[in-house]
Amino acid sequence: MSRELIFLIPLLPLAGALLNMLGGRFWPRRVTESLAVAAVAGATLAAALLWPLSGGEGTTVELFGWLRAGPLQVPMVLHFDRLAACMALMVTGVSTLIHVYGTGYLHRKEDGVRFFVLLNLFVFAMLTVVLADNLLLLLLGWEGVGFCSYALIGYWYREEENASAGRKAFLVTRCADVFLLAAILWLFQVTGTLSITAINAQAPFLAPGTVTLLALLLLVGASGKSAQLPFMTWLPDAMAGPTPVSALIHAATMVTAGVYLLCRVFPLISQSPTGMAAIAAVGTLTALYAATCALAQRDIKRLLAYSTMSQIGYMFLAVGAGTVTGAMFHLLTHAFFKALLFMAAGGIIHLAAGEMDLFKLGGLARRAPWVFWPLLAGILCLAGIPLTGGFFSKDAILLASFARGGTFYQVLGLLGLLTALLTAMYSFRLIYLVGPARNSIPGEAHHLPSSMLWTLVPLALAGLSGGLLNLPAAWGGNQWLEGVLSAPLIAEGEAGHGLELALGLTAAGLSLAGLLWARWRYAGKPEPRPVGTSGTFFLKGWQADRAIETLLLGPFRAIARFWSTMVDERLLEGGVFLAARSCEGFGQQLRRLTSGRLGHYLTAMAFGLGAIMVWVLLQSI
Amino acid sequence: MIVPMGHILIVSTTLFFMGLGCILARRNLIMILIGIEIMINAAGLVLVGASAFWRQADGQVFVLLLMGVTAAEVAIALAMVVYLYGFKRNLDIDNFDGMRG
Repeated sequence: MSRELIFLIPLLPLAGALLNMLGGRFWPRRVTESLAVAAVAGATLAAALLWPLSGGEGTTVELFGWLRAGPLQVPMVLHFDRLAACMALMVTGVSTLIHVYGTGYLHRKEDGVRFFVLLNLFVFAMLTVVLADNLLLLLLGWEGVGFCSYALIGYWYREEENASAGRKAFLVTRCADVFLLAAILWLFQVTGTLSITAINAQAPFLAPGTVTLLALLLLVGASGKSAQLPFMTWLPDAMAGPTPVSALIHAATMVTAGVYLLCRVFPLISQSPTGMAAIAAVGTLTALYAATCALAQRDIKRLLAYSTMSQIGYMFLAVGAGTVTGAMFHLLTHAFFKALLFMAAGGIIHLAAGEMDLFKLGGLARRAPWVFWPLLAGILCLAGIPLTGGFFSKDAILLASFARGGTFYQVLGLLGLLTALLTAMYSFRLIYLVGPARNSIPGEAHHLPSSMLWTLVPLALAGLSGGLLNLPAAWGGNQWLEGVLSAPLIAEGEAGHGLELALGLTAAGLSLAGLLWARWRYAGKPEPRPVGTSGTFFLKGWQADRAIETLLLGPFRAIARFWSTMVDERLLEGGVFLAARSCEGFGQQLRRLTSGRLGHYLTAMAFGLGAIMVWVLLQSI
Repeated sequence: MIVPMGHILIVSTTLFFMGLGCILARRNLIMILIGIEIMINAAGLVLVGASAFWRQADGQVFVLLLMGVTAAEVAIALAMVVYLYGFKRNLDIDNFDGMRG
């Protein structure tokens, strides 16, 4: 099999995007949709067929040199190892289903060409991030992801709210990207190369202090795209975009990019215990923060957005606890069930004619069982009910955290357990609010297109059976993902099966406790309780937006206003006007000299002549 | 040389300043042109005198050139005088102040 075929994986979505961009207006809507879906499906097929190439050390393919300037060599080079292959398969597979879902979702809506072009570009940019072996190429895809998210979140840009949500996502992630760029430049300065494999190979020989700072910079860079503290504010607002876009951002592309980046440079960051601790701490705190916010949300999509943030936090904890396998395991299962949840939520919103308030939805179980059961499957995974994919992957992360030892990671593990309880609580809160019939069922009977229904089924099955990817030995599994990534979940002999079973039982108990709490609190209670101050606090995401407004944006605006009014308008503009006015006044005085009378000119000439003669005379003396 | 150089210089300087005085004092355009002619000829007289003094022909050649230039100048100037007279019906230079700033 030709190695260059690896380039097909990212180039197929790009080709789909280009074709639709150029010809989308000339052919009917059906063709655009089919092209977009076929492009991503083709990429999935290519990734699946090329899987053997990823064995061993992986395959590195260089297509051509992109930038060559002295020591700076930036070739178009892809690295297809097991990690990239797993990620590429997940991205393309989930994206294909989301594309199919999108054809139904955007049915009979205007401007479909732009939507599918951007969707394809989004997948292309993400695949570039996944496959790139060169950090600069990775950054190219990284920024492409940022741009596509901006364009898609603000897809319905005619409403100011959506457009500003897109801008916010772009700007917030951009702020973090600066740190990533700094890390890349520094890495180039230290190692003299931009190739990720070469950098990872050199990692053990770098100075510990440098590695720690690099790990922290990479952490901040990854936090932006992955919506971790303190760059998390864009994610809930990103719900302004169409639901397939939310599904794409939350499951397959965008937010997982940060986790993937950290996994990719894991040999580097694992050299720094401080950096690892910081990653784990950021992840855990975000997980806890987002879970508390999700508990108070009333908007179904915002709830899911906060849950994504929380789950990505788990993945960061996994990376921080030193287990790439755990992070990837949770990333994969999360991708399945989160795409499923968003797509089901899109169906619900569609059925309810655009209503997103949880307290106004209801009766889904009877009215649309084909949406409700997949939704329930997704919720079971999210809550970590035993034997679902989410249960195993979350358990693996907590196990890795506890097994790493040390008080710090024990505390993080306990916080993770607390978050698991909160997760179960808000998950089942969603089910109890949406599922049973209550007094208010809004909306007339909307018909759901079939493509919005059948795509839920494979995702539900994948989410529920996701545990099979890496079934722990204690459950009689074969730990497939560990073998594939050749990275054991936890170091050998650190934790017995006892800890594993105890942790599994605790997590199961916590998820059931969450279920019971939600049942006690919400079952059969149609009316929402009045929201207290703490509820508002959590609803607004701990007032993070307001804090940023007062701490960052307010002073920034004040400084900007000072420069614009005091310095620019008064000082600079005043100086320019002063110069102009004085020139003008001088000219007004000068014009009196030109009287227009010949006599005056002649007199002046005569005096001039006299002066010259006097001067000549004085010279000759 | 019969006439001493000093006398030639005195005469020509006197002529030159008479021409200058004419230019500055008179208001009539034609009189001003005459003043210019006098000044040019004063310069020419110096050139001829100097040529005779040093026994070199250059000065006389230069005067011939000067005469040619003066003829051209007078031709143009008189044409403009005719035009300006047609324009304002007199030749008082104080009437022509179209260049006033």
